[in-house]
Amino acid sequence: MKRVSIILLMVVSLFFFTDSCKKKVKTEPVKEPEKIERVEETTPRIDRPVLTEEEIFEKKSLEELNAEGNLRKIHFDFDKYDVKDDMKPILHRNADWLLKHGSAVITIEGHCDERGTIEYNMALGEKRAKTTRDFLESLGVTGIRMQVVSYGKNKPIVRGVDEQTHYRNRRCEFVIIRK
Amino acid sequence: MIDYQRSKKIVTPVFVLLFIVMGGMILLPAQQEVRIRIREGMPMIPVALPEFHFIENSIRDNELKNELYDVLWKDLRYSRVFKLVPKEHYKYIQKFNPDNIIYKDWASIQANILISGKLEVSGEQRIIFSFKVYDVKSEKFILGRNFGGKKEFVRLIAHRAADEMMKHFGEKPIYTSKVVFVSDREGSDEIYIMDFDGKRQKRITFNDYIDLMPSWSSDNEKIMYTSYRRGTPELYIFHLYTGKTGLISTGGVNYSADWSPEDDRIVYTSSKNDGNTEIYLRNMKTGKEKRLTFNRVIDTSPGWSPSGKEIVFTSQRSGTPQIYTMGEEGTNVRRITYEGTYHDNAVWSPDGTRVVYVSRIEARFDVYVYNLKNNTIAKLTENAGRNENPTWSPDGRHLIFSSNRSGRYQLYTIDYDGSNLKQLTSKGENKMPKWQKK
Repeated sequence: MKRVSIILLMVVSLFFFTDSCKKKVKTEPVKEPEKIERVEETTPRIDRPVLTEEEIFEKKSLEELNAEGNLRKIHFDFDKYDVKDDMKPILHRNADWLLKHGSAVITIEGHCDERGTIEYNMALGEKRAKTTRDFLESLGVTGIRMQVVSYGKNKPIVRGVDEQTHYRNRRCEFVIIRK
Repeated sequence: MIDYQRSKKIVTPVFVLLFIVMGGMILLPAQQEVRIRIREGMPMIPVALPEFHFIENSIRDNELKNELYDVLWKDLRYSRVFKLVPKEHYKYIQKFNPDNIIYKDWASIQANILISGKLEVSGEQRIIFSFKVYDVKSEKFILGRNFGGKKEFVRLIAHRAADEMMKHFGEKPIYTSKVVFVSDREGSDEIYIMDFDGKRQKRITFNDYIDLMPSWSSDNEKIMYTSYRRGTPELYIFHLYTGKTGLISTGGVNYSADWSPEDDRIVYTSSKNDGNTEIYLRNMKTGKEKRLTFNRVIDTSPGWSPSGKEIVFTSQRSGTPQIYTMGEEGTNVRRITYEGTYHDNAVWSPDGTRVVYVSRIEARFDVYVYNLKNNTIAKLTENAGRNENPTWSPDGRHLIFSSNRSGRYQLYTIDYDGSNLKQLTSKGENKMPKWQKK
């Protein structure tokens, strides 16, 4: 019985002790904030610069410009060197690009399929390149910006004997050589 | 002795007639009448070529002896001037002894000419070939030559002997003549040179740009060719014996040059003035130029006549590419192909009587020979790929052309009558052959 009364006394005294400690902590009442503090971004802010088309053009290498296919090739009929009606829209687009990028200088390469002799195809390829140049000139592209060269049948894109192959090889290609 | 045409007509007159009529009506409805004609000429001379002997005390080298014999045999067989008595027939007569020739034996196996050869091989890689020619009927020694040189020139020594045979019988020597051509065997199109028989092929331009359309100068010491080394086709001269290369500055785009066989003038295609492809004549000594064609269509592929007074060329003035001739002033234009829609690559024969050209019918290119004297046409190739760029041998009996009959373009030789076809190249693609003009 004596042991129990001692434990009880200890528990009671502990209770009073903690109670007296609690009373010692001062608490301030939380007030509604009156001032609005400004929080600002700490990371430095650098925007991606918006380049003009001209600046984009300047930055690209000739290889990149040519690889992008800004100037699409056109094809011709068998043994013919006049610009086909269905190729004219392509030349219009090519002319628009050349007018937009007035410093670009191009080579127009005339090519033929293998169904002509080497010598005659040299002349035919040159005729194709020149009628193409004349067409672009009529759309406002200055002639001195366009060189022409014929490769005849010496540089086919694809090898083969069917009409689809021949069609792909009968072409003018536009290569940007200066900008 | 053998009149091929006459015997054919006698034996099979009906067949010949049928062939011409049916060929004209069925096979080639839109073409000029095409006949295979064998050129009239001397019958071939029967020649016996017994085995060569070694000169006493000389080093025996059988391989060398056999090669020399083999090259001379093949040269004579190629000639169309001589025909060789078959070796098997030599077995029926006494063995050939150069010190005691029994002419009657050789006459008995139908030999008119007998060639005796002796070979001396000395220690320091040199050989001497003694070559004697006898007329069997008159039993006379008619020609003798000794050729000496390094062992590696054994083929050339045989060719020199064959040339002497041709000269003795009043024919143009062809066996030491060379052929230039274009090959891509080492990458880009470059110019190569070889012997007439396709042997000893060697590259002569090394610029790694596209080089095309070589042509021989009249002295056989220079080659003019078309090269893209400055971006567009321009003409260059290559000096074969100094190795120097020079640009022909004529301005504009220039290609397809042909050098006069008589002097230092070239004809070539250019678009330098009004931008249209026209034919120009240039004197290489004075640099003076003359424009020969004036129209809005394609004029190209000019080539000289053997006299250096006329030019054969391709023009589209009638709507399709056709072959024309004109004088050196650009006057007297004469059209020589009428039917068919595509002709090019015309080359005048060395005797001036024929023009070889390429004609396209339904995407096939074949080689044709037009006879200017009797207006007949012979077709040399048929149903075997595309056949292009024929070039005449200096004696006009053979041609070399390019064909893709075996896949890629290769060079082939064929006789004037379409016989004896043989492939000469096999590495890479080979095209645009030009045989020396003389």
